[in-house]
Amino acid sequence: MSNVTITKEEITAVFPKVAETMADALGSDQEEVKLDSSLINDLGAESIDFLDIVFRLERAFKVKIPRGKIIEDARGDLSEADFEKGGVVTDAGFQRLKAFLNEVPADRFKAPLKVADIPRLFTVQTFCKIVIRQQKAGSAAVPAGNQPVGPQPA
Amino acid sequence: MDEHFRAFSFVNRITSVSIGQQVRGKYQIPPDLIDFPLSLVGEAVGQLAAWSAIAAVNFERRPVAGIAAKIELLNSICPGDELELAADLESVDAEAVSYGGVATVRGAPVLRLEHCVGPMVPLEEFDDPHALRSRFAFLRDSGTNENAFKGVPSVLPQRIAGETGKWIRATIQVPECAPFFADHFPRRPVFPGTLLMHVNLHLAAALAAELAGNTPPVPVVRSVKDVKLRTFIPPGELLESEARLIESDSESPVISLETRKGKRLIGTARVCLAPQKKS
Repeated sequence: MSNVTITKEEITAVFPKVAETMADALGSDQEEVKLDSSLINDLGAESIDFLDIVFRLERAFKVKIPRGKIIEDARGDLSEADFEKGGVVTDAGFQRLKAFLNEVPADRFKAPLKVADIPRLFTVQTFCKIVIRQQKAGSAAVPAGNQPVGPQPA
Repeated sequence: MDEHFRAFSFVNRITSVSIGQQVRGKYQIPPDLIDFPLSLVGEAVGQLAAWSAIAAVNFERRPVAGIAAKIELLNSICPGDELELAADLESVDAEAVSYGGVATVRGAPVLRLEHCVGPMVPLEEFDDPHALRSRFAFLRDSGTNENAFKGVPSVLPQRIAGETGKWIRATIQVPECAPFFADHFPRRPVFPGTLLMHVNLHLAAALAAELAGNTPPVPVVRSVKDVKLRTFIPPGELLESEARLIESDSESPVISLETRKGKRLIGTARVCLAPQKKS
């Protein structure tokens, strides 16, 4: 599903509900949640908030969002070994990530990038896109044991 | 005495389980206790769900307290009551379990949990996986009739500031030592999230009493929403909680709760009050 085309109109359509969901999860005002807000740097999200957001989005949009879905989709047909080595994203993985997370300003990508720091790149639009992808995928079942969508719990 | 599976364990028997999906069990509240707070009934439902989640990931990870979208406090309970526990898992994987559940006494629901999420952590950092595997088999087989739980030390919020009927700030001194730390958890003692909720509900009740002023009855807690515990609380921590009235227009005022360690936000919740039921 990593090559699904997503239009601006589709993002605009889901954004209000995504913003409302995120504001509820983070205890912030909905006006603070902008499309390009970084979840960690701008909205102060922590690991538990990522879990909260994902489960709330699943309920709000009636989709399943497998844990690790963003990184899995970003990796595409790259093997795990080609994507990261020793917890650091490879050059090939870095380029793939930049292309996949094209909503993230280029200056936020800084090499070397640790896999654990990938969620620092995620914006509200990143989650709009995953909701749209999962809507198009038609509520796939959640597989067990995938990598986390956010950082590990404290 | 070894307090593992005794000092803070609230499942006596697992009566049926479909691993990773649903689980049913029982807990007999020891009759010699003075009281048994409803927050511990929530703990019992959560522990039942945890058994199913732990088994689903082959005793490699375990859930810890994280999020509860809604906790309904429906009826009072008494020492000696037998809780019928039920938990339905919505999903479970290496990262998180999501579930809902209910505790009933003599067929009447006393507490309901909706859309809870427990982050999964490496089990062996917190407990002995072999001991848990054996305990799970024991609970599924014969279970126990022992009244091992002897209560928890009193932890009460100490008011340090406030504005009558609007907000209260209080300190909470987590005990340095308590029997429950040997059970929660043996390899990494952590102050249970449900006990934090219990202490914070005292604070909400104090604010509710101020709201009522000289016109009783005092509204009571009917539900707690958007509960989120952000980090582990080790023994001996000094915390600060604030209860603040955020909705007062209706018959059902809402109080927000925030707990901090220094500037670090540790836990949040919203408490919904309602008029006392007429008996």
